[in-house]
Amino acid sequence: MLTAHNIGKKRDGRLILNSIDISIEPSSIVSLIGPSGAGKTTLLNVLSGVDAPDSGEVRVDDKVLSHPSPRVAMVFQQLFLWPHLTLWQNITLAKLSTKDEIAELVAALGMEAFIDRYPNQTSLGQRQRAAVARAIALKPKYLLLDEITSALDIEQIERVAALLEKLRASGVGILLVSHLINFAKRVSDHIVFMDGGAVIERGDKKLISNPQEQRTKEFLKFF
Amino acid sequence: MSVLGILVNYYPTLLGGLLVSVELFLSVSVLGIVLGAGFGVLGARNPTAGAVVKTASFIVAGIPLLVLLFWFYYPFQSLLGILISPFLTAVLTLAIVNIAAIAELVRGVLTDFPKQYIVAAQMAGLSSNDIFRRIQFPMIFRQIIPSVLTTQLFILQATLFASLISVPEIFRVAQNLNAVLYRPVEIYTTLAIFFMLVLAPLYYLAYVLRERFTRDFSER
Repeated sequence: MLTAHNIGKKRDGRLILNSIDISIEPSSIVSLIGPSGAGKTTLLNVLSGVDAPDSGEVRVDDKVLSHPSPRVAMVFQQLFLWPHLTLWQNITLAKLSTKDEIAELVAALGMEAFIDRYPNQTSLGQRQRAAVARAIALKPKYLLLDEITSALDIEQIERVAALLEKLRASGVGILLVSHLINFAKRVSDHIVFMDGGAVIERGDKKLISNPQEQRTKEFLKFF
Repeated sequence: MSVLGILVNYYPTLLGGLLVSVELFLSVSVLGIVLGAGFGVLGARNPTAGAVVKTASFIVAGIPLLVLLFWFYYPFQSLLGILISPFLTAVLTLAIVNIAAIAELVRGVLTDFPKQYIVAAQMAGLSSNDIFRRIQFPMIFRQIIPSVLTTQLFILQATLFASLISVPEIFRVAQNLNAVLYRPVEIYTTLAIFFMLVLAPLYYLAYVLRERFTRDFSER
């Protein structure tokens, strides 16, 4: 299990994360929802070992996570595909999956037509799929996805959803940040609502249609 | 005497000047790139060294090259009571300008390198050595090479200033030749065409490299 206990994080003297407890079980999908600036991306950075928390700790299967590793792969909101490598080279660089496995992944995400292009020769939606493929090719135990569907059309979102469900079935634990509430509802086992650097409410996917906390209700009334 | 006649009759003189120019340029370029890269890396790693590099580059950029050249040629040597040859004075002056420019360029690119590209590589399980070899070096090299090339082309043009402190480089030789033959149209046109043939393709190369490489960063 990927667990974070009592996570606190300050930036420029401002509290970004306040005593967050969260866990992701293998074979499950957790969606993290909330307004912009709630601290979702900062939490993902801490959970992936990219940023160290100011308080609390992150454990992966009972071992403290202190640095980024393929065990907890993350897709950044800004993607950070290496610009001097083609999408195929980006995905295969780590050599943690075989070429056949990666070819299968490329097909599942419908990327065959542009896989040999450089990132700057592709659209944002194509780059988002490449970044997802790069993370999955690391064969992570846990996968953290930050707004990976923002530039995808409904067909592509469906492809990604099918892939995430397949990964869940194979034992991967997934934490997903998305503003697409329907997508979150469609794929998630658990929903966590965050605001102001704190977890306001958590529950199963019924939370979306039946929130209990006032702040969650306010946020979801537009849905 | 035609342009061809001047080239045929005086090519040993012109070639001599050209060799001095090449020697001057290569000395300044090698010193600038090696020491400038060294100071730039130091400046990116150490904040104090970074401030020194930044300040030095502002100061050097703030003094016109010609003033700097004459300052090193007259007051500097007179203050220290030493005598340095015009060639070495030109090397010293142009090298200082080149070192300052390259150091600031390298410092800036290293300091601004988006750390997330390295984080993504760490996440992929790459070793530090592989991260430098496969990610950092190629990205930095591609970003920096067009600017380094442009700076060196500026330095190449600036070597002509050395003629003003009697360094017998190509422009000085051309001036001397004109003093004897009085054929300014032919001599200076030949010189202009020569420099254009050398510099224009190199400027175009810098442009192509910039277009090809630096736009890779546009999706930051």
